[in-house]
Amino acid sequence: MTAIRLRINGAEVAEDVPARLSLADFLRERRNLTGTHLGCEHGVCGACTILVDGEPARSCLMLAVACDEREIETIEGFAGDRVMDVLRRNFHRHHALQCGYCTPAMLITARDLILRRRAGSEREIRDGLAGNICRCTGYTNIVTAIAAAVGEIGEGGA
Amino acid sequence: MPDDVRGIGASLLRKEDERHLHGRGQFVADVKLPGTMDVAFVRSPHAHARIRGVSVPPEAKGLVFTAADLPGVKPIRVVSHSAGAKSPPWPPLATDKVRYVGEAIAACIAPSRGEAEDLAAAGTVVFEPLDPVIDPVRDMRGSRHPVHEQWGDNLYIEHVLEGGDIEAAARTAEVTVTREFRTQRQSGAPLECRGILAYRDHRLDEVVLYSSTQTPHTVRVALAEILDLEERCIRVVAPDVGGGFGPKARLYPEEIILAALALQLDHPVRWIEDRGEHLLTAAHTRDHHYKVTAYADRGGRILGVDAEIVVDAGAYGLWPQGPYHEASMVARALPGPYTFPNYRARHHTVATNKTPLGPYRGVGRPGACFVIERLIDEIARAVAREPNDVRALNLVRPEQMPFTTIGGLRLDNGDYVASVKLCAELLDLPAARARQQRGELDGRKVGIGFATFAEQTAHGAAEFASRGASIIPGFESCTARVLTDGSVVLMVGIQSHGQGLETVLSQVAAEELGIDPARISVRHGDTESTAFGFGTFASRSMVMSGGAVARAGRMLRDKLCRIGAHLLQCDLAEVRCADGVVAGPRGSVTIAEIAKVAHLRMDGLPAGVDPLLDVTATYEPGISTGVFSYATHGAVVAVDPETGFVELLDYAVAEDCGTMVNPLLVEGQIRGGVVQGIGTALYEEIPYDETGQPLAGTLADYLMPGAAEMPAIKIGHLHTPTPHTEYGMKGMGEGGAVAPPAAIANAVRDALSAIGAEVNETPISPRRVLTAIRNARDRG
Repeated sequence: MTAIRLRINGAEVAEDVPARLSLADFLRERRNLTGTHLGCEHGVCGACTILVDGEPARSCLMLAVACDEREIETIEGFAGDRVMDVLRRNFHRHHALQCGYCTPAMLITARDLILRRRAGSEREIRDGLAGNICRCTGYTNIVTAIAAAVGEIGEGGA
Repeated sequence: MPDDVRGIGASLLRKEDERHLHGRGQFVADVKLPGTMDVAFVRSPHAHARIRGVSVPPEAKGLVFTAADLPGVKPIRVVSHSAGAKSPPWPPLATDKVRYVGEAIAACIAPSRGEAEDLAAAGTVVFEPLDPVIDPVRDMRGSRHPVHEQWGDNLYIEHVLEGGDIEAAARTAEVTVTREFRTQRQSGAPLECRGILAYRDHRLDEVVLYSSTQTPHTVRVALAEILDLEERCIRVVAPDVGGGFGPKARLYPEEIILAALALQLDHPVRWIEDRGEHLLTAAHTRDHHYKVTAYADRGGRILGVDAEIVVDAGAYGLWPQGPYHEASMVARALPGPYTFPNYRARHHTVATNKTPLGPYRGVGRPGACFVIERLIDEIARAVAREPNDVRALNLVRPEQMPFTTIGGLRLDNGDYVASVKLCAELLDLPAARARQQRGELDGRKVGIGFATFAEQTAHGAAEFASRGASIIPGFESCTARVLTDGSVVLMVGIQSHGQGLETVLSQVAAEELGIDPARISVRHGDTESTAFGFGTFASRSMVMSGGAVARAGRMLRDKLCRIGAHLLQCDLAEVRCADGVVAGPRGSVTIAEIAKVAHLRMDGLPAGVDPLLDVTATYEPGISTGVFSYATHGAVVAVDPETGFVELLDYAVAEDCGTMVNPLLVEGQIRGGVVQGIGTALYEEIPYDETGQPLAGTLADYLMPGAAEMPAIKIGHLHTPTPHTEYGMKGMGEGGAVAPPAAIANAVRDALSAIGAEVNETPISPRRVLTAIRNARDRG
């Protein structure tokens, strides 16, 4: 067991964790943050994407012990985050989700693309989503929703 | 459609979205119960072997369960009434023999999945390997070690479907086209793998099984039979399910084992499938071999088709329908919506030492469509006509409806030729042809392909009885309840896992009751709260469950009107129920007020009217052979002859599913289906080596379509309501996945026509394209 201290969605957390516990399992099983989903556990599907120190990361490929002193944000966070709010509204309006399993990570990736100014065209959005698999929607509506969010944010500023 | 319309035809936004957008969905792995132990399975590393012994280290005693430790568990056994069908028993944990890589042998329990896997790795199983059956075409009549040795051969079933006189067609044909086709084995691959949580509820004297399944009620039927329990002692709950697509519409050994463990242990147990297990052990699909000859006249009119179909069904039959329906569905769907009069399909369903084959969006139809639509294009080439002209020449016409194809499917209505024309318009065919003629600066070859199909949906008693099924999913149920405040709960026997049925079923009830859909809840996926129903598969839930909701809604409306008329002191004929009130000539009363009378103030009820606003309805469509949606898909591709890489430049769908309850959701289903079909066409494959080892165990080997390589998908609609269902709606959930392999293969063929290469196997991988080009050049 190793003691770690980290911030999750703004709150200080201290826990003892076994060396082999993945960050995803830590969040889901120890912290009950079940909005982070596991689709492959080998870093391809992207369903477990979260933010580590503000950058998207695969929580299935990270170990909890490696997150000492790190800042974690999951879909349960983002309170008052304007880009996330606009994205959620547009995902709803454009029917960009079906079963909902990929959705939390898709939103986190989309938010990151927008903040890094990498969602300026359909091509950019599609390339930016290459690491997140959706099995239900066929992506068209996800791309539409993100483009609409970009438009909305562009008018008011992020 | 104006914004204030919320019933049939409204693109109402989904009720389901809010929870998922905040990560508050509840999938099986999200359900937490204190004291839960994780399960990992010991699985066979061999395709075919006898088990000579299982040894467990002393420290694992009591934590590892083999078949001998669960003596109350009977084998899975599928009953088929088809002549000659063989049905092997399938012990949920292997006893004397394993028949595919991944077959479960023992269950190990521990406080975490990692520790359970440690236990699974610590045990030893002694195997005596046997020769595996890998090639169904070669080994169907027998092999050194048949999959089920008591059979002698490896055939689950074989049959000939015949109509007209195929020999006569062969004699008179001016054009003969013969091809072999192959659709490789793949996975349905929902993003959420399977998952099960089981525990015993002592208060209610029941075992509770949470499972990521499309069919909770029938899973309970099977568990009761296999575990020898009364159904009242079993509750099955399908919570949020992260995609199903067919593979989750079957009973699995793991569900039986988890229930058996929960009965035996004093703590909850759960098994959360990982992706490796999913690719290994969840139902595989699409594994077909074809040899087909089409006969035509010199104008391109098809005279007949003669097909040999082999389905590689794997080691066992998945309950309830077993391995029997895939090949028969292929045989019956292969003539498509075409009118040719002579047909023969010899089909064979073969047992091999591979993972059991099960349903996946479209089931046999993507293969059938691939075959007939590739043949259409080859006939067109042989008679030097545009493929769509040959398509139109042979398609059924509106004035021929209802039309029974030579495959035996009764198409109810529609204008199929119009879908071909609309699809060509959506693709801007002249512009695509112009681009093709100009040529690409980078040397890639542009091609255009189309495919038309009929999609049997919401089929019921007549259809399933004709297949020899022992379970006939011919109806659905709805219990509709108005609560004391006028809010409504619909309890339905289907299960929604992405389709948006919580939204569309409340639209149906809103249509009948005049209540805002926001005041209507839909409960599904739980045997405790819903009347019996079959679940969501076979493009049936909108028609069947929607029909049950419509009926239940009307029953409630009648009662609301009777009570309302009494309260308004007017005749029943004078009132109508709309906009949340029952209105009469001199005033109105709200549904909430009526609901209060029906429950809390029965002194206000008219004589002869019972309290409660609580009804249960069932619904069976007016025709049980199915109502047929249809579509034409069109693809524009660029093929790189140097690398074999296929890029989709454009994709269009022109479809008709009758009345659309929610056009936004219909289009979502189409686009999602198309991209799955593109996965079948271009990427997804689980190859097996000659020893029976599957070679795609991760998503790095098993390629799923991503956003970057998918085109935006254009959709056009035709509208032909069917007279056989409520509101004229037809099912449409699977159709999107049916035609992409055919349309894309035709487009690739068109791109490579100058080279003379064609690829008649899915997925159309770069290696297969390059092999086809090399073979064409060698021939040339």
